[in-house]
Amino acid sequence: MLNINKTVENNTAAVSLEGRLDTVTAPELEKALMELIPDLTELKLDFTDLDYISSAGLRVLLAAQKAMNKQGSMTLTHVNEAVMEILEVTGFTDILTIR
Amino acid sequence: MTVQLKGRIDSSNAARMEQELLQQVNGQSEVVLDAAELAYISSAGLRVILRIRKDHPTLRIVNVNADVYEILDMTGFTDMMSVEKAYRVVSVEGCEEIGHGANGTIYRIDRDNVVKVYNNPEALEDIQHEREVAKLALILGIPTAISYDVVKVGDSYGSVFELLNASSFAEILAKEPEKLDWCVAEYVKMLRLIHDTPVPAGKLPDVKETAMSWVTYLQNYLPQSAWDKLVSLVEAVPHDDHMIHGDYHTKNLELQNGEVLLIDMDTLAVGNPIFELASMYNSFVGFYEIDHDAIKQFQGYDWETGRSFWRKSLAAYLDTQCQAKIKEVEDKARVLGYSRLLRRAIRLGGLDDEKKRAEIELWRSELLELLEKTDTLMFDRNELELEAVKENLDDVIAFLEERLAGTNCTPKALMQINLAVEEIFVNIASYAYRPETGKATVRFEVSEEPVTVTITFLDHGVPYDPLARQDPDVTLPAEERDIGGLGIFLTKQIMDDVSYEYCRGQNILRIKKTV
Repeated sequence: MLNINKTVENNTAAVSLEGRLDTVTAPELEKALMELIPDLTELKLDFTDLDYISSAGLRVLLAAQKAMNKQGSMTLTHVNEAVMEILEVTGFTDILTIR
Repeated sequence: MTVQLKGRIDSSNAARMEQELLQQVNGQSEVVLDAAELAYISSAGLRVILRIRKDHPTLRIVNVNADVYEILDMTGFTDMMSVEKAYRVVSVEGCEEIGHGANGTIYRIDRDNVVKVYNNPEALEDIQHEREVAKLALILGIPTAISYDVVKVGDSYGSVFELLNASSFAEILAKEPEKLDWCVAEYVKMLRLIHDTPVPAGKLPDVKETAMSWVTYLQNYLPQSAWDKLVSLVEAVPHDDHMIHGDYHTKNLELQNGEVLLIDMDTLAVGNPIFELASMYNSFVGFYEIDHDAIKQFQGYDWETGRSFWRKSLAAYLDTQCQAKIKEVEDKARVLGYSRLLRRAIRLGGLDDEKKRAEIELWRSELLELLEKTDTLMFDRNELELEAVKENLDDVIAFLEERLAGTNCTPKALMQINLAVEEIFVNIASYAYRPETGKATVRFEVSEEPVTVTITFLDHGVPYDPLARQDPDVTLPAEERDIGGLGIFLTKQIMDDVSYEYCRGQNILRIKKTV
């Protein structure tokens, strides 16, 4: 289960995730982000209520990061410890901007 | 020739009796002494019998009353020659019928006693068999009632049991539906006890042989390829020396003064529990799939109760609430259950009866559908076998979380195991059988000191060692990152050990984590 809450203002989108970002839910986030990204210069992802991430979720983050690198910035906030560990062992902490 | 013995034979008349009897049997080959009217025999009388036996070594004594039998037993005559007891005559007219099985009907003859009347009038051997297996079961630790007397009921024989103030589980369920969960718990406790009981070799028949006879019979009623598969599935079930009741339903479990007793032991056998589950499925569901109301006649409760009792019992027996696990084993039981139902219905001439034909058609089409997707009839409480598709990931996780709950695993380790399982299962679902699909088995094991969980994934897909792949370079910038290979890399990072082997046509991937 993943709840995706989006607020878009001008060229900035704030997307908060709640639940699990896994094989089943990653395509939902991918679809939501790919719809938003063409018009964005700033993408803010709030991970406060994200409990879990698997490689399927990492792939969506990587694709979003690659897209945003061309047109603006992407940031992650409030990453919990469990998710942070996954980002660390996969080197994602080096390619994502985490605040 | 049969010679009647009458009254008393003792020292006062023994000499005369001997003379008379020897005269009568002189030159006869088969001599039977009918003791129906023999009231007493002393040692002088016994010597008469020995004298006759000298000339007629095959001498038999029949219809011996209890008093005379005791004398013959004490003096060793029962070991020396064939001595048959006289059977008490019992009427079951007007008696309550409390059970109905494959071989007979059970009636309550008074408050404390029941009699099982056998259908077959030549049932003495069956009765002897049931007494022997019931004794064996009792010795092996199964609480059961053993018959204390064999009686004549009309033209048939019956065996009498003491059953004080007892109610069958079927009666309890019909009268007190709120006791369903209690009944399930006790029923499963007994089932496990039966299946955990090893039986010395040769003491009981092998249920697999019986099952082979069901499936062999169906050769002319199934397409050749389906029949071949059915036979190979049964053949592949390994021998098991643990006990099987063979007709384990709610009429064969009695509650007597707070004690649960197993009855109707004539189908006792040894074998894999799947054969038992097959007959249980039939007793609660299979038989009644078209005629739902018919279960009332046999068990006294309705279709919904029967289905619910079956499902709950299977869940408790497998120690799971995971629906995918329950379904996996239920489907295996149905393969054997339908085979048995089909054979039975066809043998009883069901193809000539419209209503029965509809049942046969249903069972046959269900069986064919099941055979398509069944690779083995074996199951294990700690294994989940299911279609390797991404949609089934939640079932795998649910099954493993249930097993992990017993390990006091930390939330972090739980999350890591969950993640590794997702990565590996999704990998199998995506690549093992592409573009087709196939089965995967997930096995859970735990060892102590320190508590270590091992999860093994098995599939029959193309041989592929995911560990042989080079790890992704996690130091590259985003633009140069490839999206592949992350899952297995992650798994290796968060598990204590990940290993792969290809063995007997199977990819075997094992992950270990100390929790």
